[in-house]
Amino acid sequence: MKVLAYVAQKCTGARTCEVTCAQTWFKVQDVSKSSIRISANDGIFAAEFCIQCGKCIEVCPTEALYYNKQGIVLLKKDLCVGCMSCVGFCPYGVMYFAPEEALAFKCVACGQCVKACPSEALKIVELDEASTSVWDFRF
Amino acid sequence: MTEKIIRHVLAEFAYQAPKIERGYANQTLYVNVATGEIKAKPVSEEMKFKFTGGKGFDLWLLWNAVNDNTKWNSPENEIVISSGPCGGTTQYPGSGKSLVTTISPTTEVITDSNAGGHFGPLLKFSGWDAIEVQGIAERDVVVIVDAIAGKVTVEELPDAPTDTHLLGAWLYDVLAEKPHEKYYIAMVSAGTGADHSLLGCLNFSLYDRKRQDVRYKQAARGGPGTVLRHKRIKALVVRAKPFRGDANHPADPERIARVGADMQHEVATWDPVQNRMRNRGTPYLVGIMSDYDLLPVNNFKFGSHPKAHDINGAYWETRLTQGLPDGCWYGCTIACAHAVDGFELQTGPYKGQRVIVDGPEYETIGAVGSTCGIFDADAILELNFYCDTYGIDTISYGNTIGFLMECYEAGILDLEKTGGLELTFGNAAASLEILHQVAQGEGLGRLAGLGIRKAKAYLIEHFEADPQFVQDIGMENKGMEYSMYMGKESLAQQGGYALTNKGPQHDEAWLIFMDQVNNQLPTFEDKAEALHYFPMWRTWFGLCGFCKLPWNDVVDPKNSKSAEPAKIPHHVQNYVDIFAAVTGREIDINDIIAMSERVYNLQRVFNIRLGKGLREHDYPPYRGVGPVTEEEYESRQERYDKQLREWLGLDPDAMTLQEKMAAHRKYRTERYEHLMDAVYERRGWTRNGVPTVEKLKALGIGFPEVLAVVEKHLQVEG
Amino acid sequence: MITLNKRERLEWQEGLTVQALLERKTFTYPHIVISINGIVIDHDAYAETLIPDEADVRVIHLIAGG
Repeated sequence: MKVLAYVAQKCTGARTCEVTCAQTWFKVQDVSKSSIRISANDGIFAAEFCIQCGKCIEVCPTEALYYNKQGIVLLKKDLCVGCMSCVGFCPYGVMYFAPEEALAFKCVACGQCVKACPSEALKIVELDEASTSVWDFRF
Repeated sequence: MTEKIIRHVLAEFAYQAPKIERGYANQTLYVNVATGEIKAKPVSEEMKFKFTGGKGFDLWLLWNAVNDNTKWNSPENEIVISSGPCGGTTQYPGSGKSLVTTISPTTEVITDSNAGGHFGPLLKFSGWDAIEVQGIAERDVVVIVDAIAGKVTVEELPDAPTDTHLLGAWLYDVLAEKPHEKYYIAMVSAGTGADHSLLGCLNFSLYDRKRQDVRYKQAARGGPGTVLRHKRIKALVVRAKPFRGDANHPADPERIARVGADMQHEVATWDPVQNRMRNRGTPYLVGIMSDYDLLPVNNFKFGSHPKAHDINGAYWETRLTQGLPDGCWYGCTIACAHAVDGFELQTGPYKGQRVIVDGPEYETIGAVGSTCGIFDADAILELNFYCDTYGIDTISYGNTIGFLMECYEAGILDLEKTGGLELTFGNAAASLEILHQVAQGEGLGRLAGLGIRKAKAYLIEHFEADPQFVQDIGMENKGMEYSMYMGKESLAQQGGYALTNKGPQHDEAWLIFMDQVNNQLPTFEDKAEALHYFPMWRTWFGLCGFCKLPWNDVVDPKNSKSAEPAKIPHHVQNYVDIFAAVTGREIDINDIIAMSERVYNLQRVFNIRLGKGLREHDYPPYRGVGPVTEEEYESRQERYDKQLREWLGLDPDAMTLQEKMAAHRKYRTERYEHLMDAVYERRGWTRNGVPTVEKLKALGIGFPEVLAVVEKHLQVEG
Repeated sequence: MITLNKRERLEWQEGLTVQALLERKTFTYPHIVISINGIVIDHDAYAETLIPDEADVRVIHLIAGG
């Protein structure tokens, strides 16, 4: 199972990943449509994106969320009724919502941001190689 | 389905579902099951502004459909169901309620009751803000709103079962051409118990995608199921198209999403350390109510019982299926619609079947359990299941059985009169036997099926019961059985129960802790203000399609630092935001109160129009006010003696028990009269409880036919 | 003696804690705010917070709905 991984030390805060993600999935430059979010605190960068933990699958009432064979959590848009249960209950705050189409969205480890990152701070790795220490558990 | 299903279409009406705009379909559906007339009625801007939706629409449609002499079983009486403009919102917990209104067989005035389930939202998404059903069919029929086929039909389905759990399974199979179509089907049904009693409830279905089965929530108060079956309707069904989370086409989806995300996260963060609704549902209250002497035990004689902890929240957490998204509408992460799965029935016609028991809710546990002296969880589940599938209100049924148990123990009933049933407190087998008799219309089930008020009259007439005694102990007001909170030590709650429109259901006001425990309502004026604000605030949920629970069953602790924590200001603001974002109509809390006052006062006038709704109808039975029997007094003697000293300056040591009880009764009943005066004044009513012409005009409902109703009474009062 | 919620007079004894008062009154509802002489007590401090004699104790249950 391969997921997205982030190396904070390499990140320069260019935010190319955010723009690339929004462009890839929503065809817009608006980074509120990105499934990866970079934050800066005293010059130290952090990234937030889905680690495919699957908690959202449990709380989804419509069976719209599921694991694919590669272990990535995906959304069936035709089943999603936009209820935001997954958004509120995501332990890491990385399930997002697009109000204008009333659908949830998230990182599906597509790798487009990896290609775009100018500082090689992002990569696609096996799950056990990915450090989760950068994520802020919300509860 | 392999065999051919017989469907005789008796009436058909083709329609094209309009686009939903800002929470409204802008038309309502009229169906007459006697004549086959089906038509669309437009919804005007004035109707939206003045009555909002939900119960407001229900009442206005019903007001225009009946006459002054209409009874519950008159052909022109209607079942009216509406959700409301915010109903069907998926981003905020508890936004899928349906409100049903009709003239009640037990109270003989307007009753309103709400339920979860998918019917109301799917009805709207199928093009109808409300459905009103009039007439009495010749034979059993099903009304089907089919948005996929673009038609409304009245059909005879001769093979359809009557009891809800069988009917739901059967109808969903008949109507879903492909399995996933079941997701978008919802129905309203009753059962054989509603055929033979006045306590009929309505089951509102939802399809549970995780369980792959049909589930039910109940709109039960006041006997709407009895009205449905009297009209010979087996079910009202909607077959909707698949929909998205923007099906209401709200004015400002971003504002909804912002508030929704905050609230979903608030639930996720705080519910686990507060009420644990997601694990326990409303039964979390059972143990707590017993701890505060508020859990009705043995027909409301007492407020606690050691065995209450056998059926408390911690117990139900081990019994209810855990880990499923048990919301009754999408996005409700409070998820109180729990169930016990695979429950094997031990009695009755379905003995041996393994079923889903929807619930039990706190109220059900109190009614069929503690107030009957029953603390056996399996018996409570069995009673819960059969009440639901038979289409019987658990609260009214349990409360009536508790009353009959006390009558048995007091000698009014005996073995001969009960047909050999030893109807003592705690006898679960007897309660189950009577419940099956209700469904068959036999034996003691016929008496129990009348509800307390009519059962009292029967006991007086046929069994020489002392009228004063049965009046004192029968826990009903206006003909409706009380819901499950002890109000003896909270004057405000006595008013919260009896100074109501439909009767003693706590959905208008629940002030026990504010009043009795916290002492936040020390004066009559304080209580009257609370009995104005909270009923209006809580009425508003039922105008919009909201559930009350997310308002106050999970709360960010920051609320405790707000100016008025009991009102939960940050949640009030959420509702203001959601309403404005759906409808595009900016409002504040004062507008909310005014929206409710219009509907609340219309309902009061409606009751007066039907010959009731006055001061004389607003008195509680003394069991709800103070100790009726020596046994009750002695069980709480320390408390009652202390009150005599502190409240009345009397020396209980120098008084007989009878004198002490008489002193309490005089004091407590006079105190209630003062409360009535204060509340009526605050509500803008006369001392007889009649809304004044000025009040009705100020609210914008001074229609000539409304004023005509009150003017007759105002002249009498002078 | 202490006063509870501006109404009830209760016996006071040396060493009376908030926790002990809650147990004596079987105040089991989880969502409450407690103040002693106007000062709000932290939820985690109930077991060690002593109630002085003649204290004005408020135990406000934040529940407005069944």
